[in-house]
Amino acid sequence: MELSILLLIFGSPTQFRRVKAIKNTLRGRRTVSNLYWALQYGMLDFVDSLHGVSFEEDSAALKQLKNDGLVETDDDFRFRLTSKGVKKQLDFQSQLLPLKNLAVGSRYDVAKFMHRFTFAVQIVSEYSYSNNKYYPQSINYFEDQLLKRWFIQNKRHQLPQQFHDLLNDFLSGLGDNQLADAFTQSLVGHDFSGLTGEQVAAAEHTHATIVQLQWLQLYGMLLQELLKLPKDNPLLQLTFGLDKPVVAKSAEETFDLFVKQGSGDFKTIAQQRGIKLTTVYEHLLEMAIMSPINAFPYQSLIAPDLWKRLADNSPEDVGEWSFADASKVFPHLAFFEFRLFQIYRSKLADEN
Amino acid sequence: MKINLHDILKRDFGFTSFRPGQEEILRHLFANQNTLAILPTGGGKTLLYQMYGAVTHQRVVIVSPLISLMFDQVSRLQYLGSKRVVALTSALDFQEKAIILSRLNQYQFIYVSPEMLANEQVFQKIKSLKIGLFVVDEAHCISEWGPDFRPDYLNLGKVRQNLGRPLTLMMTATATDVVKADIINHMNFDSADVQQVVLPVNRPNIFLSAKVLANQQEKDRELIDLVSKLHGPGIIYFSSKSKAEEAAVNLAVKTGRQVMAYHGGMDNQTRFHIQQQFMDGNLDIVCATSAFGMGIDKDDIRFVIHYHLPANIQSYVQEIGRCGRDQKPSLAVLLYEPNDRYLQMNLIANTIPERNILKYLFQHPKALTNDDQFRVVKYYHDNGYSLDQTMGIFEHSRQRRITELGAMVQYVYQDGCRRDDLLKYFNERVSATLKNKEFCCDHDIDFWNNWQSFNEKYLNQSLKSAKSKPKSWQEVIDKLFLLKN
Repeated sequence: MELSILLLIFGSPTQFRRVKAIKNTLRGRRTVSNLYWALQYGMLDFVDSLHGVSFEEDSAALKQLKNDGLVETDDDFRFRLTSKGVKKQLDFQSQLLPLKNLAVGSRYDVAKFMHRFTFAVQIVSEYSYSNNKYYPQSINYFEDQLLKRWFIQNKRHQLPQQFHDLLNDFLSGLGDNQLADAFTQSLVGHDFSGLTGEQVAAAEHTHATIVQLQWLQLYGMLLQELLKLPKDNPLLQLTFGLDKPVVAKSAEETFDLFVKQGSGDFKTIAQQRGIKLTTVYEHLLEMAIMSPINAFPYQSLIAPDLWKRLADNSPEDVGEWSFADASKVFPHLAFFEFRLFQIYRSKLADEN
Repeated sequence: MKINLHDILKRDFGFTSFRPGQEEILRHLFANQNTLAILPTGGGKTLLYQMYGAVTHQRVVIVSPLISLMFDQVSRLQYLGSKRVVALTSALDFQEKAIILSRLNQYQFIYVSPEMLANEQVFQKIKSLKIGLFVVDEAHCISEWGPDFRPDYLNLGKVRQNLGRPLTLMMTATATDVVKADIINHMNFDSADVQQVVLPVNRPNIFLSAKVLANQQEKDRELIDLVSKLHGPGIIYFSSKSKAEEAAVNLAVKTGRQVMAYHGGMDNQTRFHIQQQFMDGNLDIVCATSAFGMGIDKDDIRFVIHYHLPANIQSYVQEIGRCGRDQKPSLAVLLYEPNDRYLQMNLIANTIPERNILKYLFQHPKALTNDDQFRVVKYYHDNGYSLDQTMGIFEHSRQRRITELGAMVQYVYQDGCRRDDLLKYFNERVSATLKNKEFCCDHDIDFWNNWQSFNEKYLNQSLKSAKSKPKSWQEVIDKLFLLKN
């Protein structure tokens, strides 16, 4: 995908945003630093939504946007949208569904669902024509086995009619024929070979990246529809095993131990979990970032007087407050406490 | 057991007749005779072992050298109706490999790469199964004198022996006499023990032509001219993915034809769409890399153009063999400009490791463990070759490749019959009486001044290209699912 397009979509005219942080958030690199910036940019819902996607070099993408007058940059590989950039952002957004439909990819493996669903369509389409002589679009061993079993178990359940009805309801419900057409071109079946993202983009005079995002959004929507189906519906089986944890399991385990222990003895937690002390801090910060503000015990991790002094001395834009600057005021400040304070204030600001 | 092969061919596979050589090879196999088959590209190699498996209900293990090729073959076998097929390759992750190995006895057709077969766990698992037929595909890879030498193929003789000497079918599309002898020798056979079925390399329905252009700009102009007018589906070969992509865009814009790039660097879904479109006749031309062949049969390809020179005559013959599988007149064009030679020279230089790298690898053999690109080095290191010996082998290989490239360039500048020139590498001749001078090569007729009338006269438009495609989403879903009421 073209990184420059995603930077425009997730850029801001008021806030300088880091290219790497946006890219790594979408790709699901769950470092505390990335998650922290995702929080600052309102992108927590999009963590890992473009898992496995490859992008071009950061500097090349930024250079192109700058040359086109769409962004302004500072020295830090950060950028802010110009008015021309905002216009372009609106243009892209108008071609997409609301962005929340891309966020489905943060909780479910939508790309895998897309492959699975298109393969299922091919199998059912050929079956409806009683044709078993075709080239199957193999995915990988496990997915192929899953679909094979699914088909054998369910073929007596009038699958062609069910797929036709499902797609008819889903696509007519979109109320947007252009998007519905783009969706059906992602399919392959009996005597129908569909189009590649590039081909759809050429026909619609847009970018292949926009078409790929449209597909991910549409398949994300479709996945959510399927998840609502009753348990005995054969189409529900196509959603099995696609959910992704919002926080890393390891971070959750550290946090659970911390809550259970209640004393804040991090060294013991590190020993019990067999991890480094710094990893304990990272896990707790990840949990703070990814949890609702009331679900994390901020107050028990920062002493009340330090809390007050931080609040009294913090700048208006607390998110961009650097640890180096804060340390000048509070020479004994620990990074962990500093970051927790920032997370709390950012979450509070978001809630208000 | 008396077997009526023609009945089975019709009943199980829906074909009315065998392709040349197929029946003879099958008869050898059913008579339990080890066989070396030299069948041209598209000669129906898959059907041979599929039919053997279908008739005998025995397990078939197929050794194949390339992952992409293996996936294509699995797909083709499934297309032809065999569903118990699996491929054991390095592309599998740990879990997949473990599950497949634990269920291996459920599969009738097992594709395996020679590297996988060298893995003790995989080998023991395969050994525990009863194998009816052991197939060595692309058997020329066993020969150090062939263009695609793969050291792991050298172990296949020993592997076969350890598997209890199952009935063996060795197959390749093109092999010189030296390569044929090498295959038999390395597989530990006496030549008297092996039945050989060698089909002619010559494809009389493919017209051969080549043109030398002054520079790339001229070559691009010539390509646009040809692509605008030549009838039928076609493939254009490039030596790089980026050039294939660039040319596809350029040709689509300048010729108005449906052109797409097709190579191994694309994601699976895109490649699948393009493959299906090409098969269905919705794409006119595919710009492909020579490293990534189309594993799927398309009979009505009318022309193959080489924008870049292939590395050797064997590769060229294989690649042009993708056109005219329906036996109808077809065209092979090779476009050449003098710098193309250097492009290939660079490729040769890049695939042969330099002395200091070799020296480092011999001093740090751990670096060889999992790196695919050093597999050949690893083979020599593990088999006790010294650094100097290995260096000597690589130098020898480099010289050989340069010689082969020289032969390819010579073919371009050939002022005699191109067919004779190609066939002499395979010790094959077409007698003057059998040769159709009207339809042989651009030496015999003034092709380059008359290619447009040649096009009209010989290259038929594919009937498939006229199909109308559903466009709106309602039309697509109505088309996809045939509803019974």
